[in-house]
Amino acid sequence: MKRSILVATMLTALIPGLAVAGDTPAPAGAKVYFIWPKDGQTIKGGKFWARFGLREMGVAPAGVEKRFTGHHHLIIDADLPPFDEEIPASKNHVHYGKGYSEARVELPPGKHTLQLLFADHNHIPHNPPVYSEKITVYVPAD
Amino acid sequence: MKTMKISIALAALIASGVAVAGDSPAPTNAYLYIGWPNDGEVIRAESFRVWFGLRKMGVAPAGVEKSMTGHHHLLVDAPLPPMDEEIPASKNYVHFGKGQTETRLSLPPGKHTLQLLMGDYNHVPHNPPVMSRKITITVK
Ligand SMILES: [Cu+2]
Ligand SMILES: [Cu+2]
Repeated sequence: MKRSILVATMLTALIPGLAVAGDTPAPAGAKVYFIWPKDGQTIKGGKFWARFGLREMGVAPAGVEKRFTGHHHLIIDADLPPFDEEIPASKNHVHYGKGYSEARVELPPGKHTLQLLFADHNHIPHNPPVYSEKITVYVPAD
Repeated sequence: MKTMKISIALAALIASGVAVAGDSPAPTNAYLYIGWPNDGEVIRAESFRVWFGLRKMGVAPAGVEKSMTGHHHLLVDAPLPPMDEEIPASKNYVHFGKGQTETRLSLPPGKHTLQLLMGDYNHVPHNPPVMSRKITITVK
C-alpha cells in the first residue's frame, strides 16, 4: 500500500505532464477550432462574430457537470493559462458560460491573437486540454 | 363590465397564441442558421459536415434546464413538427442532446432539405420557437 503510494508519487514527480491538466476527461479526438475568423484574416472595423467549432464534444453552460461537455473561452492577445486551474476571467480571457457557440467580438486597430480553450463546469481545462491553434487577425486603422 | 369582457376575450386570444409553442422562453432575437452547407450547395462527397449557427442563445445538453438554452435538432427531408410537443426522434429528426454544435451527415444522391430547430431540456421547441431557414442541397 505504502509502496504503491510511493511509486505513484515518484511517477507524478517524474512525469510532470500528468499534473498539468484538470480532472475532467475529454474524449480522444476532441477538437476546438475557429470556423471564423481564419488565421491571417483582416477584419475591417474590428467588430465581428467569432464562430467556435467543436468536434467530439458538446457544449454545456458553466456549472453543469455532464460527461464530455464544457464551455468555450476566448483568449485574446494572451498566452494559454495554466491547465490545472480555473481559467482567469478578464478582457483577455472571456468565458462563454451561457453555452454560446458564437460571440460578438470588438477589437481595436492593430494585430491581435485569438485562441480558444474549452473548459469544464468549473472553468478548468479538460484532461487532455482541448484548445485551438492560436490565430492572428489584423484590424486596419481605418 | 364591458372592459372586463374585452379583457377576457383578449386573454383568450393571447392564450390561444401561446398554445402553439412550448413553455420555455427564448430570446426574441435568437438567431439559428445552418453555417454550412449553403442553400443550393451541390455536394460531391460521401459525407459532409453541417455547422449549427446560433446567436444570442446558448447550448445545453438535453435534460439540463437552464434559462435561454436548448439543444439542436436537425430536420432532414422533413416538415417542422408541432411546436408544442416533444420533437420526434427518427432519422428525419435528429437530436443533438449531448450539446453538439456540428455533425457529419451522409445522405443518398439527390435533393435534400435541411432545417434546424432548437428544443428545450424536454425536447420541446421554445416560445417563440427558434428555427433556421429550410435549405435545399443536392448530393451527387
Ligand atoms: Cu469558464
Ligand atoms: Cu431533443
